[in-house]
Amino acid sequence: MRYFQARISENRVLGGGYFVLRLANCSSLSAAKPGQFVMIRGAWGRDPLLPRAFSLMSVDPSNGTADVLAKTVGRGTALLERALPGAEVDVLGPLGTSFPEPQADTVDLLVAGGVGLPPLYMQGELAAARSLVSRSELLYGGRGAPDLVLLHEMEAMGLAMHLTTEDGTVGTQGLVTRVLEARLDKHRGARVRVMGCGPNAMLWAVARLARERDVPCFISLEEQMACGIGVCLGCAIPARSRPYRYVCSNGPVFDAADVLDVKPGVPPPPAGCPA
Amino acid sequence: MTAAAVDPATVKLAIETGGVAFRNPVLTASGTFGYGREFEGLTDLTALGGLVTKGISPAPRFGNATPRICETASGMLNSIGLENVGVAGFESEKLPYLRQCGTRVIVNFFGTTFDEYVACGAGLDKLDGVDALEMNVSCPNIKAGGIEFGTDPRVLAELVRACRPVVKKPLWIKLTPNTSDIVALARACADGGADGLSIINTITGMAIDARTRRPKIATIFGGLSGPAIKPIALRMVYQVHRAGVPLPISGIGGIQDATDAIEFFLAGATTVQVGTQSFVDPDASGHIVRDLQARLAADGISDVRELIGALRT
Repeated sequence: MRYFQARISENRVLGGGYFVLRLANCSSLSAAKPGQFVMIRGAWGRDPLLPRAFSLMSVDPSNGTADVLAKTVGRGTALLERALPGAEVDVLGPLGTSFPEPQADTVDLLVAGGVGLPPLYMQGELAAARSLVSRSELLYGGRGAPDLVLLHEMEAMGLAMHLTTEDGTVGTQGLVTRVLEARLDKHRGARVRVMGCGPNAMLWAVARLARERDVPCFISLEEQMACGIGVCLGCAIPARSRPYRYVCSNGPVFDAADVLDVKPGVPPPPAGCPA
Repeated sequence: MTAAAVDPATVKLAIETGGVAFRNPVLTASGTFGYGREFEGLTDLTALGGLVTKGISPAPRFGNATPRICETASGMLNSIGLENVGVAGFESEKLPYLRQCGTRVIVNFFGTTFDEYVACGAGLDKLDGVDALEMNVSCPNIKAGGIEFGTDPRVLAELVRACRPVVKKPLWIKLTPNTSDIVALARACADGGADGLSIINTITGMAIDARTRRPKIATIFGGLSGPAIKPIALRMVYQVHRAGVPLPISGIGGIQDATDAIEFFLAGATTVQVGTQSFVDPDASGHIVRDLQARLAADGISDVRELIGALRT
């Protein structure tokens, strides 16, 4: 993990509030794994104050660039959406945990909701680089067509995609969990893992489905955080293994079994839980 | 101001204050620097004057429900709930690293009753590698209906007096700004036998999400920090200094750069603590030390102590 200054080399606006920042001078992120994130802050003066957390979408060790996909939701992302190439940003990373690596004998169902795409995009890239992309499927949901981005890029990876939109403008109408159910049925009997990133409500639904089918499930959670390195303790989430785990330093990728349906403040059960 | 520049290498930043000799007056504030190790590789701990640990209670605490933080205008609100590893956990898990980290270590501590404060202070006082203790008195006094210990001068003086006999190390008291009379609180600490003051802790605040109609943090109220509170912190440091309370002051509140630090020295602080800015820039305290040295050199100030209390009014 390093704290360094990077330069925006490209800001690709995708519509619907989505944009991809390409950051140059990011060789410190070359070894980053899918699921890991960075804290980014522009030269914003005193307000907004805190850096923003973004999952990495892609890193290119050959030229030291890193891509993040973002959606404008508040003041920080609005400033980044308007940032021009050449602008300098402070970067802290790579931070946090990653998804398990692709395996030849395992089908990975990658479930992405809206702006939760980046770590699963990167997981797809990793699978493609290892000639295992045929073992991965992307289940990608959003409210409408503008929420499904970078489809050509993922097609080019050879990643099989199942698209859903709530308004039915693209793919299957409804929630991505419906498609997940169907894909779990389809792969019944095979070694399957589910990996998800998106709105927390979607992730809990995904994790419950996986639990019902006794399928390993890893989810990348999002929480308000100030520091990204386990200091501010703002990004706590109730967990089984400890009363609280931290999205920044114990996550953002968690084994769903540790964090699903845990009531806050419940003391940890005795032995036998993941530490 | 108009003095000739001096060689930065000759600028003296070292200061002995509050019973501790610091290599420079830039410390990191409790709750924003973990237990030090979290910043390994991100800032040079040996370049710091010192660090103040996360607040320690007698037993471990798991903290508050979430959401615990939110950003506000030029600041943030937090209600972490004083989550920490407890005295024993601190000694076994955190102190070995701190003993060899190359900077002064001040341990922040608190309790929820007088007895807990005394037990915690006594436990930490025994530990080698701890240079001083900083008492957080912004906690709710459970036996007094949840009123902060540090808001009533009589209670505060009693609390300091109760801890003083068991704490042989330098004892600093971190004052709450949630008061109408900071000078009375500072005097109470002096009367109780404290060695130093840290001014200020966070200011109680609140944030609301207008769309959901809910508070933005789970406990509704939280502690406001960051540059938004700097004018209040400066005012309180200056009030205590001007009143002649015979204790050195560690200034805290929205310090982002060397200029902010200098302002606190001018108001009367002998050291400063960098808090929320360490979230913005994990090397903030390092930047401030380097820039402070350069600033003083450029202004022809050969010793940082020349600035302390040098406000012109």
